[in-house]
Amino acid sequence: MHLEKQKHDFEPKIIAFVCTWCTYAGADLAGTSRMQYPANVRVVKFPCTGRIDPVFILKAFQQGADGVLVSGCHPGDCHYIAGNFHARRRFAAFRKLMEFIGVDLSRIQFSWVSAAEGGKWVEVVTDLTERVRALGPMVEFKELALEEQWSGNLNNPELQAVYEAM
Amino acid sequence: MTQTIDISRYSALTEAIRTEARRILSDGTVSAVIGYTSGRRTGAVQPIVITAADDADKLLFTAACVNNLAVYLTKAKKDVPKRGRIAVVLKGCDLKALVGLIGESQLKREDLYLIGIPCSGVLGSVLKPDQELTTATIASKCCECTDRLPQGCDFVPAVDLPSPVPLEQRYAAEIARLEAMTPSERWEYWKEQFSKCIKCYACRQVCPFCFCEQCLCDRNRPQMVEQSPRPSGNTAWHIMRAMHLAGRCAGCGECERACPMDIPLNLLNRKMAKELKELFGTEAGFEVQDKGPLTSFKEDDDQSFIR
Repeated sequence: MHLEKQKHDFEPKIIAFVCTWCTYAGADLAGTSRMQYPANVRVVKFPCTGRIDPVFILKAFQQGADGVLVSGCHPGDCHYIAGNFHARRRFAAFRKLMEFIGVDLSRIQFSWVSAAEGGKWVEVVTDLTERVRALGPMVEFKELALEEQWSGNLNNPELQAVYEAM
Repeated sequence: MTQTIDISRYSALTEAIRTEARRILSDGTVSAVIGYTSGRRTGAVQPIVITAADDADKLLFTAACVNNLAVYLTKAKKDVPKRGRIAVVLKGCDLKALVGLIGESQLKREDLYLIGIPCSGVLGSVLKPDQELTTATIASKCCECTDRLPQGCDFVPAVDLPSPVPLEQRYAAEIARLEAMTPSERWEYWKEQFSKCIKCYACRQVCPFCFCEQCLCDRNRPQMVEQSPRPSGNTAWHIMRAMHLAGRCAGCGECERACPMDIPLNLLNRKMAKELKELFGTEAGFEVQDKGPLTSFKEDDDQSFIR
């Protein structure tokens, strides 16, 4: 089932934060079953979704990610009993905050992928990649990283007056 | 139209605080009282820790008593004596912060003697501390205050509050205005706001809930938040701050007051409080709760956003 390789103008960078017990094993299953999925995804393995701090998502965007996927065990299947329940609440809150700050939420995807769901992993990754490809590069955080210190700008009339008086 | 807010009860409150402080200090109930005293400028107020009954007359309560004194009880502030019971003067919003700290096992209720203040509101800015308290000069947090009478305190002066003046809901209006914008407009708004940040961390210092021995943003192995006052680091810091306070913030608004660059920090906190109330039905109150909304869970929490 080798698909023909397509050429795209834009290859998004997707960072996937996955839990080692379910989604990582699920991605592994997709690999050993020889399923094809976009190579845009970079998998970062964590012990549990409960370990994934929202600040990691920010960091990923700052370092050039165009989309972020957070994936772990289905509720009730957590290796650490309740890690994913805590993560679920945390990400529900974090989504609302990112929305309020003005980040496009379709770039952040949360999913439950179990160790047996190689097919679902392929589906989730393909969907997110294609969606982010359609959206284009995530420029907001990258622009911030390139911008110089704003408070040093002398375009403020008050500061300009003080500067000229010196 | 600006309208004067009746604070004539504040002089009776001052008397009651002084009498109570004198009593509890002289009979040895407490070893210290944290309260407000007059500052150097006319009308200015500053926090004070008194340990002698004779100093009780230094205490007062006016509309310029903006500080949240609960911050002096956290382990981040080491200048308050840790021996014996400590009395602290608290407005409703400050009490909610203190209750949050008790819930997070930072303080023990039996080590504290709480003096609650039935509060009609305080000034939004103390640049002119002697100005009159009106519907224009009142702090934004007081406009949306629903808990003017503290509950569960050891002592609340018996002063009846005047009926509240209707006030414009500033945060609710601003949140609604921002929510109606497109994501890119909101991003532009926050970009401009965060651009003012000079990373002085006054918001962190003044926050009762920022008691971590080492803040995540001070760590550099690994460095999660850029430390220099540059755009990306500022944005990351403010997002992280809002996230760490989500479900904990009591709405005392000290971050916004302390900010020298006038960044609307409490707006982020209010938005998160609103969202968490909608999502999980929890909000800061006078009841001590063992677990906050983000440290607990229900098996049937909403997961419609998860695939």
